[in-house]
Amino acid sequence: MPKLTIDGNEYEVAAGRTILQAIDDLGLLMNGVDIPHYCWHPKLTIDGSCRLCQVEIEGMPKLQIACNTPVSDGMKVHTQTERVQKARRGVMELLLINHPLDCPICDQAGECKLQDYAFEYGVAGARTREPRRPAKKSVDLGPTILFDQERCILCRRCVRFCREISHTGELGVFNRGDESLLETFPGIPLDNPYSMNVADICPVGALTTKDFRFKIRVWFTDDVESVCNQCARGCNIVASRSNNKIYRFVPRRNDAVNDTWMCDHGRMSYKLNAQGRISSARVDQKPVSSAFAAARAGELVRAARASGGRVVGVASPFSSNEELEAFRDFLAELGAGAARFAVPHGDSDEILIEAEKAPNAAGCRALGMQESSDSLGHAELAIVLGHTTHAAAFADVRRVILVDSHESALSARADVVLPARTFLEESGHFTNVDGVVQRFNPVVEPNFEALSEREALDEIRKAAAAPPASET
Amino acid sequence: MLKEPFVKNYLSEHYGSDSFRTLEGYEDAGGFAGIKKALAQTPEEVTEQVKASGLRGRGGAGFATGLKWSFMPKQSDRMKVIVINGDESEPGSFKDRMIMERGPFQILEGILIGAWAMGAKRSYVYVRGEYREPIRALEAAVEELRAKKYLGKACFGKKGFEHDIVIHSGAGAYICGEETGLLESLEGKKGQPRKKPPFPAQHGAFGLPTTVNNVETFAHVPYILEKGVEWFRSRGTEKSPGTTLFGVSGHVERPGLFELPLGTPLREVLGLAGGVRGGRRLKGVMPGGLSMPILPPSELDVGMAEELLAPRGSHLGTGGVMVMDETTCMVRVACVTSYFFRDESCGQCTQCREGTGWLHKLCEKIEQGRGSAEDLSLLVDVPSVMEGQTICAFADAAAWPIQGLLKHFRADFQAHIDEKKCPFSESFEL
Repeated sequence: MPKLTIDGNEYEVAAGRTILQAIDDLGLLMNGVDIPHYCWHPKLTIDGSCRLCQVEIEGMPKLQIACNTPVSDGMKVHTQTERVQKARRGVMELLLINHPLDCPICDQAGECKLQDYAFEYGVAGARTREPRRPAKKSVDLGPTILFDQERCILCRRCVRFCREISHTGELGVFNRGDESLLETFPGIPLDNPYSMNVADICPVGALTTKDFRFKIRVWFTDDVESVCNQCARGCNIVASRSNNKIYRFVPRRNDAVNDTWMCDHGRMSYKLNAQGRISSARVDQKPVSSAFAAARAGELVRAARASGGRVVGVASPFSSNEELEAFRDFLAELGAGAARFAVPHGDSDEILIEAEKAPNAAGCRALGMQESSDSLGHAELAIVLGHTTHAAAFADVRRVILVDSHESALSARADVVLPARTFLEESGHFTNVDGVVQRFNPVVEPNFEALSEREALDEIRKAAAAPPASET
Repeated sequence: MLKEPFVKNYLSEHYGSDSFRTLEGYEDAGGFAGIKKALAQTPEEVTEQVKASGLRGRGGAGFATGLKWSFMPKQSDRMKVIVINGDESEPGSFKDRMIMERGPFQILEGILIGAWAMGAKRSYVYVRGEYREPIRALEAAVEELRAKKYLGKACFGKKGFEHDIVIHSGAGAYICGEETGLLESLEGKKGQPRKKPPFPAQHGAFGLPTTVNNVETFAHVPYILEKGVEWFRSRGTEKSPGTTLFGVSGHVERPGLFELPLGTPLREVLGLAGGVRGGRRLKGVMPGGLSMPILPPSELDVGMAEELLAPRGSHLGTGGVMVMDETTCMVRVACVTSYFFRDESCGQCTQCREGTGWLHKLCEKIEQGRGSAEDLSLLVDVPSVMEGQTICAFADAAAWPIQGLLKHFRADFQAHIDEKKCPFSESFEL
């Protein structure tokens, strides 16, 4: 393994990597080893055009760009010399001569690399008195993205993303020199299942999502690490929240799962948390307290056992591993046999989107649950934990106890409905399509009484064990 | 267009003759002696001779040709390719045009020698789009070579020596004369230089191992093979042997081409061009095309070779000598120069894209009498963060002439600022 020395610190790095790649491999880039950069991105091809990552390498007369210079054994790199600092100041000054000073009305402010690096590596004053390059504001690139041409620093990350990752190639840089402009090709809008990633990788406020734009200043939000639940891929995300409200999902890097990307559908699924919620317990479709509903559920369990009728458990691939385990144990206590589960399916691609439209089918399988969307057949009682989309399977089931967060065809007919928390309201783990177990954390609190699925099971268990309460 | 240079040497000896443009006429004049000698030797021996000759690339950078050839992988399961740069986009340079028009077979013979030495099966001659006549001349020459089976499965009857030559028309961009910008353009892409590594010898045209040489460079090669290294080295300087076609333009009595040994004093070149027009006094000379720093009259005794010009603060470039007399406003020169480079920057690298635009705005401001002392100091600072920091040498080419003009003619700039107008003429806008 080649040894690379940066500012006197020696690192062992993988062979065949460039300086920036090697530092990124070690997890140290801008995190101990600071080499500012714009056009370089760990998951895109090397462009080498922003020239901000120039460093001094012993034995080389000119400054070299760290993104494209292969590491050789014994290479000694300096990132803080006067020459390097002058070069960085030069790049920052030149990037700003045509960049509008509209940070106060720019939605990127607060998470803008141009702001950050200008502060860190640039100079405070502007020396240019010339008019800036005229360009268009608020260009509609497609259904998801608005483009501010004035703010674009032409790093071309978005261009490479559309060519190399989404394979759709909608974007290009047109014209030359300081008249270069990012645009979509004529008649081809930026419209692909991954389009909103370009806003994440845009280092400045040029590309913003129509959805998040101007909703909130980013410094009023805090970020919670979580996992997307819209398919079996389980893309790592951060959820930005403020005042108990989720404002967006953005992908979080995980090279084993989603690199640095996520699909637009998953990104927009933050809205689902507040939509179609079961906000109150129900018995016979009439609102009741959760305690009353749990008691009624207990009665149904007792009655079913007394009658000797068949009791089935139906699990959900939307539940966490912890919930699934609790359900398995609960069913074992009842002597009800292994739970069934059914997975909704949809389109898939070769990039991230999986056909299984649930985050934890692998978790269900790992616990020995039976995958089936067939009819449950005749049964006295079905206990359903978590969201299920296969209501038709319950046609011949006499009684249904449902613990779920969202309304469905099944919640409309269940005898007892208990409102549950979503994965964004508690913690747990999902197992993704490749068997990677991933943690999610609570982001918001429901603004109504909702139980975690485990709490709901405990309540039903208690109620089922209690002696029959005198009817009042 | 001139049919032949005013001063001739081995390269342009027959440029006055129309028959030299035909295969028959070329052979009658002694053509193909070089390739025939080369084919009697091993490829390594040929490369060694080119190395020993000291031939330097005539496209502007002056890189050692034999050394460049030796960068090509010896063994390769991929086809090896030669690309010939006939884009001649440097303002002030017009020598390649004449060589392509008047001596197309010299270039093609040189290419075939290179192909033998490097084991290349295919060549692409990339010719500036506006050069319709050179393209016609080269295409006709290639057709004749094919018909005579000097080109094809067994060139010159040599078994196993397969080669074909493609003439490709550019579409008119300065940057497509840059080695890798040319390769992108050849592949049908936007002309934007490539970052290195990888270098063309590993990953060049269409991803194949590639050597890129200027057309004039190849035109010299047959003479090295035919007449020998010593003969070649008897002209020019120790470090820059041979002749070149100096193109003299601007304020001289007799602008045109002059084939002279490298190292010829600049004063002699100007003398051959009839001196400054109308008996006026010389103000400055750009010795190597628009992108090379200007020299003041005090430097006239410098020899026209890279190793002699570099210590004097300029470069040989393409040998396009641009002469300016005392009526020239050097701020206007800076203005026109910076406009050109602003217009031609490909726009990839930050310093070049933004720096060329800023330089032009500053020069225009000063020329129009709106400049300040602060603008003058920016004209020093901005080029200093442009040169040597970009993917290709374009930013250097944009920075150097401004630096040169400011170094030698600061008084012109200061006068514009002090008088708040151009002392030479009415202000103008481009």
